[in-house]
Amino acid sequence: MSQNRMALWNAEDMEEDVDLSLALGSYGQNFDDAHLSQPQIDESAFLAMQQHMAQQAAFAQIPDVVKGFIVHFHQAVLDNNLAEITVAYESGWNKYTEKFYSRSEWPEAEVIAPLVNDDPIFLILYRELYYRHVYSRLQPDIDDRFHSYENSCELFNYLLNSEGPVPLELPEQWLWDIIDEFIYQYQVFCTWRSRVKTKTDDELITLAEGGPAWSSYSVLNVLYSLIQKSKINDYIIAQQQGKSPEEIAEIVGEYGQRPLYRMLGYFSIIGLLRVHVLLGDFTLALKVMDNVELNQKSPFTRVTACHVTTYYYVGFCYMMLRRYTDAIRTFVTILNFIMRMRQYHTRSYQYDQISKTADRMYALFGMCNAISPNRLDDNIANIAKERYGEQISKMARAGPEALAAFEELFLYACPKFITANSPPYEDPAAISMILSPTSPTESPTKSTAPQVEPTHRHLTLFLADVTAQAPAPTLRSFLKMYTSLGAKKLANFLDADEEEMVQELMMMKQSSRQLNRVPGNEKGLLDGLVIPTSDLDFVIDQNMVHVAESTVGRRYASWFIKNTERAQRIHDELRSLPLPAPQPHQPVPEQNKRVGGVPKVAWGSVKVA
Amino acid sequence: MAASWITPPTRTELIENLVSGVDRYNPSNVSILEDYLYHQIRSEEYDCLANLAILKLYQFNPDLYNPDVVVNILIKALTSTPSPDFNLCISLLDERPTNARLDEPDPLPFLLPSLKNLHNLLYRCRFPAFWACYRSDELENLRDNYTVECAGFENAIRDVAIRAVKATFGRITSERLGSYLDLNGDELESYIQGLGWAADTATGVITVPPNPDNQIEATIVQENIKLPQIAKVIAHSCLKA
Repeated sequence: MSQNRMALWNAEDMEEDVDLSLALGSYGQNFDDAHLSQPQIDESAFLAMQQHMAQQAAFAQIPDVVKGFIVHFHQAVLDNNLAEITVAYESGWNKYTEKFYSRSEWPEAEVIAPLVNDDPIFLILYRELYYRHVYSRLQPDIDDRFHSYENSCELFNYLLNSEGPVPLELPEQWLWDIIDEFIYQYQVFCTWRSRVKTKTDDELITLAEGGPAWSSYSVLNVLYSLIQKSKINDYIIAQQQGKSPEEIAEIVGEYGQRPLYRMLGYFSIIGLLRVHVLLGDFTLALKVMDNVELNQKSPFTRVTACHVTTYYYVGFCYMMLRRYTDAIRTFVTILNFIMRMRQYHTRSYQYDQISKTADRMYALFGMCNAISPNRLDDNIANIAKERYGEQISKMARAGPEALAAFEELFLYACPKFITANSPPYEDPAAISMILSPTSPTESPTKSTAPQVEPTHRHLTLFLADVTAQAPAPTLRSFLKMYTSLGAKKLANFLDADEEEMVQELMMMKQSSRQLNRVPGNEKGLLDGLVIPTSDLDFVIDQNMVHVAESTVGRRYASWFIKNTERAQRIHDELRSLPLPAPQPHQPVPEQNKRVGGVPKVAWGSVKVA
Repeated sequence: MAASWITPPTRTELIENLVSGVDRYNPSNVSILEDYLYHQIRSEEYDCLANLAILKLYQFNPDLYNPDVVVNILIKALTSTPSPDFNLCISLLDERPTNARLDEPDPLPFLLPSLKNLHNLLYRCRFPAFWACYRSDELENLRDNYTVECAGFENAIRDVAIRAVKATFGRITSERLGSYLDLNGDELESYIQGLGWAADTATGVITVPPNPDNQIEATIVQENIKLPQIAKVIAHSCLKA
């Protein structure tokens, strides 16, 4: 496959050679190759001609408005006109996708190249959009998967390895989408790659020769390079220290001063958070966020999709670290944010994605709340109950049904975990062993068992924690009725062995103490203090259980504050309204009659008549 | 507690740079981290994040995989229950392809279920069951080849039990405590003395020193209004006036 591709590229360059075009910048290497491979020229020239004709035919099929759009888009990029680029990116592209390409690819970059003077940078950006569209609307084939990787590499190469910072400017939203999509395609590729049995022979061969495409190291390399190049961590620290813009500019250097690099650097930190979670490394995921302050005021929250992603992954990490209270607080913060922002971003093309993530966070919230009951935000709790009422009531009770509900919600709401490494495609023997149906004699050794999906591994760990906590709700409901009772009596109620029940109480006590992040004490997301998280506390004195319950007084004051503010707002609005124009007298009696109710209208009108 | 977990005071600068920098991905550093693990095993130290860095390297470079190291990491992680360390380690253990070429059969697939079971018992505070399982014949291999090398392993597990007891009990019978610690007679007595806990020899009741967790108090959390909360209301009325 890769050789095929090379030939095709050579052919392109040949064509450019004839046209005396430019495009030497990033395709320089291929250009040289074309010269070295003299003997192939005839064949490739022939290919080039065929290609050229096919491209002309394809070009003719592009609707004129789309051609116009591409020319305009290109001009906006050339001018670094952020406003125009944003319009083209956020509305134009989506508009024409709906209109012409909802079920097919956009024209290939080679086809539209003449429209943009073969501008290599624009073509890379165009391909970025082209492949993103293929991934989201269509089914990417194996070539798409490899080509989109190569295109991403070219883009990052251009950004990172040009001489000095590149003079390009792109909207923040697009920059986020570039990083987001890069990781998404990596995740999709890993998932696709791990399914050995569905591969065709051609795909097996390609994968065997696949090389480093979409390897975890290459993905991490891109993200870390962007972080280092932009000195984003230094930038954040300098900002927190309140340094002046001049000092910051000095610190972050020529790359970090440019918004393009600064934003890419920040988005790469969030990208790392996500990649580490996908690989099951929840501590490292939080550790890369060490310098990032989680709050709503940071300028980086302007890209809503990024903001939401950040909280989703941070919250999930906390859940896997058994820090349920932190997880709940994280979800509550962002879910409230999404609710407040809803009126502004319903029209955004990101809205679907954001509300899907929000739904998953309501599920995660419900799970954490079932494990570690807590009344942090009744509003969010009510919405979660509306959406997942059935599962939430099952989770609140002990028993096998609860476990099934946890499993269902976990599988629905968890990230799409991936395996870091490829199955051994380069080793045909090992692959054929995976492909051959596992013989029953071998399966007990477990060595040839099919690869366990990473999601399943994380699910098992989570469910084991849940199972360990299973006795808690029942114990809790009994303890709540007493201030003190004998362990033996309690064991009798539960029909349990006294010693085992005492051990369950120990477990319960232990899980009512959680590591909790101290707001305001920002020393990274992993840090925290152990605090009691349950309103029910107890201590065992030999064989007597003493219980103490903390109750939360009713919150009158905040209720009054909230409603006072509301009343003031309504009052202001009323006052600012223009006075109603005096109304003519005639309609009044008619209105009065209508108020009386529908049946009377006939009678009333008769009377008037 | 969290701070010393994130950065144990015993961690050297070399290790700190590996754990916190991009050098953690460099496969050639694995031996430094592995040596550090064996140092932890000999000196009763523990550094979860450094050990996770080893597992990360194994995850990315299956060729480096060394099952003995993994087993030792898991054993160390057991001793920090109820922190989630053990699960965090398991999370990083990708299924490995069958062709991992090793001189000897990989001991991990056989030991992993036992280790998971031990962790489960510990996490659920089933200490007597933990000791019974740990001392069983089936785990002879684990004891003779691994935990015996891990200095202070049994005492570290006792610490896990002591942490739970301290939080839950005001007073506890020595019989019960002994079953949690797998100790009795003189051994138990000297262990309790080491803790500095008072034991009533006549009744066999041990008093657990008071600490924030075993002092319970019924409280009513009252609403506490701070000025910023009502700032809006006040500002509004000022505006009108």
